[in-house]
Amino acid sequence: MIVTYNWLKEFVDCDLPPAELSHLLTMLGLEVERMEEVGGGMDDVVVAQVVEKNQHPNADKLSLCKVDNGKEILDVVCGAQNFKAGDKVALAQIGATLPGDFKIKRSKIRGEESCGMLCSEKELALSTESSGIMILPEEFQVGTPLFDALGTKDVIFEIGLTPNRADCLSVVGIAREVAAKLGKKVHYPGLEVNETGAPIADIASVEILAPELCPRYTARHITGCTLADSPAWLANRLMAAGIRAINNIVDVTNYVLLEYGHPLHAFDFKLLAGGKIVVAAAGDGEKFGTLDGQERELTATDLTIRDGEKAVALAGIMGGGNSEIGEGTTEVLLESAYFNPSAIRKTSKRLGIHTESSHRFERGADIAGLTRALDRAAQLIAELSGGKVAKGVIDVYPAPVEPRVISARLSRINAVSGLELSADEVEDIFRRLEFDVAQTAPGVFQVKVPLFRVDLEREIDLVEEVVRLNGFDKVPATLPQASVFSDLPSDAQRLAARVKDLLVAHGLNEVINYSFVAPSSCEKILLPGEDLRSNGMVLLNPISDELSVMRTTMLPGLLDTAVKNISFRTLNLRIFEMRRIYLPVEGEDLPQEPLYVSALLTGRRDPEGWNQGKDEIDFFDVKGIAENLLSELNVGGVNFSTEELDPYYHPGKACRILSGRKVLGSLGELHPTVQENYGIATPLYYLELNFEALLACRKKQGAAQVPSRFPSTFRDIAMLLPRELPVADVISCVNGVKAPELEGVEIFDLYMGGNIASHEKSVAIRVRYGSKERTLTDDEVTRLHQRVIDALQKKLNVSFR
Amino acid sequence: MKEQLEALLQEALAELAQASTEEGLQELRVKYLGKKGAVTGVMKGLGALSPEERPLVGQVVNTVKAKLEETLDARGAEIRAAVKAQRLAAEKIDVTLPGRKRPLGSKHPITLVTEEICSIFAALGFAVAEGPEVELDFYNFEALNLPKDHPARDMQDTFYFGESVLLRTHTSPVQIRTMLKQPPPVRIIAPGTVYRCDSDATHSPMFHQIEGLMVDKGITFADLKGILTLFISQLFGKDIGVRLRPSFFPFTEPSAEVDIACVICRGKGCRVCKETGWLEILGSGMVDPEVYRHVGYDSEQYTGFAFGMGIERIAMLKYGIADMRLLFENDLRFLKQF
Repeated sequence: MIVTYNWLKEFVDCDLPPAELSHLLTMLGLEVERMEEVGGGMDDVVVAQVVEKNQHPNADKLSLCKVDNGKEILDVVCGAQNFKAGDKVALAQIGATLPGDFKIKRSKIRGEESCGMLCSEKELALSTESSGIMILPEEFQVGTPLFDALGTKDVIFEIGLTPNRADCLSVVGIAREVAAKLGKKVHYPGLEVNETGAPIADIASVEILAPELCPRYTARHITGCTLADSPAWLANRLMAAGIRAINNIVDVTNYVLLEYGHPLHAFDFKLLAGGKIVVAAAGDGEKFGTLDGQERELTATDLTIRDGEKAVALAGIMGGGNSEIGEGTTEVLLESAYFNPSAIRKTSKRLGIHTESSHRFERGADIAGLTRALDRAAQLIAELSGGKVAKGVIDVYPAPVEPRVISARLSRINAVSGLELSADEVEDIFRRLEFDVAQTAPGVFQVKVPLFRVDLEREIDLVEEVVRLNGFDKVPATLPQASVFSDLPSDAQRLAARVKDLLVAHGLNEVINYSFVAPSSCEKILLPGEDLRSNGMVLLNPISDELSVMRTTMLPGLLDTAVKNISFRTLNLRIFEMRRIYLPVEGEDLPQEPLYVSALLTGRRDPEGWNQGKDEIDFFDVKGIAENLLSELNVGGVNFSTEELDPYYHPGKACRILSGRKVLGSLGELHPTVQENYGIATPLYYLELNFEALLACRKKQGAAQVPSRFPSTFRDIAMLLPRELPVADVISCVNGVKAPELEGVEIFDLYMGGNIASHEKSVAIRVRYGSKERTLTDDEVTRLHQRVIDALQKKLNVSFR
Repeated sequence: MKEQLEALLQEALAELAQASTEEGLQELRVKYLGKKGAVTGVMKGLGALSPEERPLVGQVVNTVKAKLEETLDARGAEIRAAVKAQRLAAEKIDVTLPGRKRPLGSKHPITLVTEEICSIFAALGFAVAEGPEVELDFYNFEALNLPKDHPARDMQDTFYFGESVLLRTHTSPVQIRTMLKQPPPVRIIAPGTVYRCDSDATHSPMFHQIEGLMVDKGITFADLKGILTLFISQLFGKDIGVRLRPSFFPFTEPSAEVDIACVICRGKGCRVCKETGWLEILGSGMVDPEVYRHVGYDSEQYTGFAFGMGIERIAMLKYGIADMRLLFENDLRFLKQF
């Protein structure tokens, strides 16, 4: 909503400077989003008088003038011809900046010096069209800044209104708020309509066939109008509000719409068949040409304004081309009606037509005040077009609406707000808002709310009005006396943060991908069509096809991110994302949304550098991350399986991660085809873990172990194993030796090829022995170690080297 | 003999002074003090002396030996020190070369800000709550006093999967789910991902919010102001200006938009704050009785407040990020700064 400073001041006595008024409006909940001075910063455009006008020596179409700006006589070259010596003109002096950031500089035009520019209305943004320069009235004082002389200096406030404040979609509405805050009264202009025409009942009639959609319809008739351009004061205000001036009749309806907030419509009365208006639902499939030149197909839920034969307007939204005010219009039927908000909203939404009119009807117009707008517009049209207003008003209002009475308790107002207002203070606030108020018991108010306040229905609405008008700045800042004690962050939240910290400690960077992906993303990671994950939830109204399906796996997003970064030559990538996926559940509206920890790595293990390792990341890097994470979360029974691998993995370099038999996730090198599908040159390593599954498999934290105070002894074993035998079997075999002194076992070497037979591998382990009571003797260690060797030999049939 | 010894000592001392290596010193030690050394040779001649002379010369021998030992040790220390100094000088490296590094990870700025905000509210006694991102119309709109065809629904462009299934447009449905699950008192903070079908320089179709809710007996609008003022001073610093101004949300009344003094221009007016000096960072208000009706709370007995803020906006202000799209481009050159 746009209002101007001067326009507001027509309705309320307010001597606040514009900046303070802007603050006052914002603090009333009418947020001023933009404040702009009209003619501001244009003091260098002054009233000047042409002293001499001579032909430019070097150009036929230019003239060379001597212009008096009140201080000196300046040479100015001008291209327009519509003036003569002695005329008062608008001179943009050197240093002036015209709209469009056009700076006036000293210049030479065809060899003659020009110290300024004589301006047209268009160049000063005073109109959209102009022929020639602006000729100013004789009485203007030479040297005065132009906008001061014109009296059009003004300030535009653009107000971002919240959808509940339909009553503020007008200058009067905003003036009412200012008046309430300042404790003043709004001056409503006198609405004397000079009715010089015939009685309206003899001229036109109105019938409402759909009273639930149109509870009230009023009309006036004006005859003998002469269509013309609107005067500048009116056109300028429309322009400030962003509305194009058309003619003196249509402009008045728009002007009054801005002033009173009530949408009006003017019909060319001669084009209304039978001279009558019928308000009725459209026919199903009825075609109607709106005045924007479009043909619309209507349904029976759309409300139309009709004449004796046909639809002439889409009620409350837009008029029809068939009854438009235009050349030749002399007789006008002016409509001021009330339409059902939700009906207007439905039609406007369905047809995609949003107008100043529909915007107001959707939010709720003032059913009581609509004749005020009608009278104001009729009088203005008559004045501007020389027409005669018919006697009387047609007012079809079968069931008049009574203002709502709401009761409000002082105790409630103070309990919700934390203020300590008195009954008198509250009553005063209600009165300033133009509410009728009576105290039926001490601190109990019966408040009759005017019909323009469609947003007020309940006690809480009045509580807000009181707090708002009293001022949010007057509310103290207190801390609640709470009876509830805080819950500590749950395990899930604490551990999620811990997981992220751990991944960061492993050198991974967190990314956030959109939750929606392209439909082709599952195919690109080789998931078959029948996989549950290939059937993610599809958005009905996506931003684009590329963002149309809810992700069912984290992998495509991470791959897209990898591709993007590689294209920026970030070749060493270690990224993770810990967010949700969306798995549809048969027979349920809502999907499951498990939280996943996922990571993707490629490139070198170490950062680039003169002294850094040059090795590439491999399977065991990502496995190491997974193992550390599982150990940090104390997940029990962890084991790795190569069965039932997802198709996006390299079949020989990947595994699933389980706790007992419960699947927690998987990790491994991605399938080379996936790599090709994304055009990435280096092998990629991926990890995914279902965070909630991890939490479910956590062991209880045991008592802390006291380390032995005696040194341990290490013994190594080198052995040859069948290549296929998992090293995990060796470890579990060693751990299977039940001896409290066996403290641990590490693999410290693995070797294949060279002089080792192709079906074998060489593995070296280091076993640690120790006791909490004493240092073990060499003999004791040897005996224990022999048990380990025996076990390996017996169970796995290894040969020792 | 005494003279002989003196001469020997002078000779040895001169040679010692010349020695420059430990090996050289060792040779001199052998030469003079070894079994076949010069001093030893002189000592062998002691037997030929008279018993009166013997102790006197013996004493001289001992003095010479001691002097030599002492000089050898001192010279040895000198030489070792010089050698060490030489070695250290030779070992000098270029300390301006970069160090050897392990890769350093980073959290996303959205995560950092979320964690910071949650920890501030945790200290104020708020527990973290969560809810689904794919939501039902009932929780996202209906129960929040946003019936179908309500103009306020236009404020939020919604992604739909069907008539009643949608992507939540705000974290407010977590309020409803929490209140339906537990009786008052309630004190929660709910961070989460939200969606609106809008995409340009200042809007992302996916973004993040944090919702807060406190319901109890005797909670007032003044308490809301107190809690939010405290929160903002924790997040942006004690001296930052805060103001509440009236606004409208269907699920709160009275409703307030919370502004902070522009952190860029400190309230003077700049492009970031559109010359107003203020930045809008929070929406808030007292929970509307209609919301209590939907969750079965008695609005006569309980009052409370709710608030919600966009995490992106706060991250942008905190880290001086001008374009929201940077937060979702996942360019590691950007993310590694955090």
